[in-house]
Amino acid sequence: MDIIRTENLEKIYQDNGVPVHALHAVSMNVQKGEFTVIAGPSGSGKTTLLNLVGALHVPTTGKVYFEGEDVGTKSKRQLASLRLHKMGFVFQAYNLIPVLSALENIEFTMMLLQISERERKERAFALMEELGIAELAGKRPNKMSGGQQQRVAVARAIVTNPSLVLADEPTANLDSATGGALLDLMEQMNREKNITFVFSSHDPQVIQRGRRLVLLRDGRIERESHAGS
Amino acid sequence: MMLLRLAWRNIWRNKRRSLIIITSIVVGVVAMSFVEGLSRGFLKQMFENQLGAYTSHLQIHHRGFNDNKIVQNFIAGSGPVTTALEQNPNVRYLSKRVIAFGILSSASNSAGVSIVGISPTDEANITTIDESVLEGRYLSGQKHEIVISKRLAETLGAGLGDRVVAMASTLDGKVGSEVFRIVGLYQSASSAFDRMHIYVPLQNAQEMLRVGERIAEVAVVARSIDSVGAIKADLMKRLDASYEVLSYQDLLPSLLMQMEMAGQLMWVFYLIIGLAMIFGIINTMLMSVFERIHEFGVLKAVGMKNGILVRMILLEAFLLGSVGALIGGGGGILINLQLSSSGINFAAFSEGLATYGAGAVIYPVISYPSIATGMAVILLICILAAMYPAYRAVRLEPINAIRYV
Repeated sequence: MDIIRTENLEKIYQDNGVPVHALHAVSMNVQKGEFTVIAGPSGSGKTTLLNLVGALHVPTTGKVYFEGEDVGTKSKRQLASLRLHKMGFVFQAYNLIPVLSALENIEFTMMLLQISERERKERAFALMEELGIAELAGKRPNKMSGGQQQRVAVARAIVTNPSLVLADEPTANLDSATGGALLDLMEQMNREKNITFVFSSHDPQVIQRGRRLVLLRDGRIERESHAGS
Repeated sequence: MMLLRLAWRNIWRNKRRSLIIITSIVVGVVAMSFVEGLSRGFLKQMFENQLGAYTSHLQIHHRGFNDNKIVQNFIAGSGPVTTALEQNPNVRYLSKRVIAFGILSSASNSAGVSIVGISPTDEANITTIDESVLEGRYLSGQKHEIVISKRLAETLGAGLGDRVVAMASTLDGKVGSEVFRIVGLYQSASSAFDRMHIYVPLQNAQEMLRVGERIAEVAVVARSIDSVGAIKADLMKRLDASYEVLSYQDLLPSLLMQMEMAGQLMWVFYLIIGLAMIFGIINTMLMSVFERIHEFGVLKAVGMKNGILVRMILLEAFLLGSVGALIGGGGGILINLQLSSSGINFAAFSEGLATYGAGAVIYPVISYPSIATGMAVILLICILAAMYPAYRAVRLEPINAIRYV
């Protein structure tokens, strides 16, 4: 079953009045439970594609379908609700809320879902234990390493049991060992919880782990491949 | 609860900035409570001085006397009035008075005065005139004694023990006069009152004006100021239409209006202080929003709806305002409490204050509802001030905000 399908996505930005064609007629699909990497050199359009898939951007032309529904027909409020209920985000710069502890950061998206405080705490702590980061519960982001922050960010992304997690260059700020451990964690979540992961990355370590690879160049899909193919 | 915790922690991200704005709120609320307390204290003093010096709680006259204070409008028989008053359990004290406009002359000068004939013991129960005597003594009940103010004595060039002559129109249309010896000099809180009022024994005044047993008015003090309305209603039922029963509200309408206006003027004062503060708060909240554009982008990306974002920003402003208002309100109460017992000495302005009937020492009066209202106004202003920054945050597109560094 397709969790994401795009049809002829075009995205044109205005850069100081100059139109920049970021994506050209990109059509692709991602199936539930896949571990997909959108790869390509800088400026190839991978982050743009990830943002369009994550309903953060509106395509110039073309359509994005999420679980069969046309994302383009939804209001801003409905898109926010879609992201909250169905998606998780992992950013390159972790982007944890600096004034909240690790536990509270993980609780935060559940708070937006109006889950009771008791349940939030239970679920967040259980997940932290599962991910081996329980000792970070009371720490604020500025007291954590990059790898620890990114693990907390992953926990925040998956704690609401989303259908899809979008990770934009998640290992870019980490050393290879820490990045590897993070990818192990994400693979584990993909395997055990059947969460679909879509990465944008040019990190060879991430590309290697992807069971499906979408290679972009100059805003077009240059090649698609599956692990082992 | 989590949103509250987040908002609370957010306001302390930049401690210095938050402390500056909280300090300005504290200063504003303290200033508001202080000025309000002082204003209430000043007006209360004016009011109490007026009641205590002369007006009392109620006055009963022959109908028409209040508008035309001539001897022809005196009460012919005070019997029904005193009977009605004595039967009312809410009445504490009463005093019969004879009042006439006339002239008081000394050996060197004359002045227009209001001659007040009183029974010294009864009058001492309802006014503070006996306590206001600074030199000499109060009336003893002996005939031909007179108490005048120090100010009037200076005008007349007279002093204690000197003889003065009072003259006024009599009931039969002639001029009556009487010689008095000054036994006491008083000073009340009002210079205007002092210049006009002289006190002589009731019987002397009646003889001088040739009015027999007639009196001008009966002044009444109630057991409680709250029962004045009930006493008035009872008297109006018991007495016929030839009498007029006037409460302090009827007798001091301009002062009461002034007090009401002062209360309303406080709102203008609140508004001015609020306006002065609102720009500081807008600036603080805008800076706080602009510093967090990237963070708001992330929050929106993960699904935070605008409503919650607005609530968070307004909550931050509310908390900032609450801290300031609570400290300011507490400070205002403490200052007013301290000053309400020690008073503030405005000796340098005593002449001006005496013109308004207030003493040189003003005792601020705390009004907890007013302080609470002032605090609520400040909170409202804080929330209003955060509306625009919240609007700016709402307008952010998550993708652009995330890219913002």
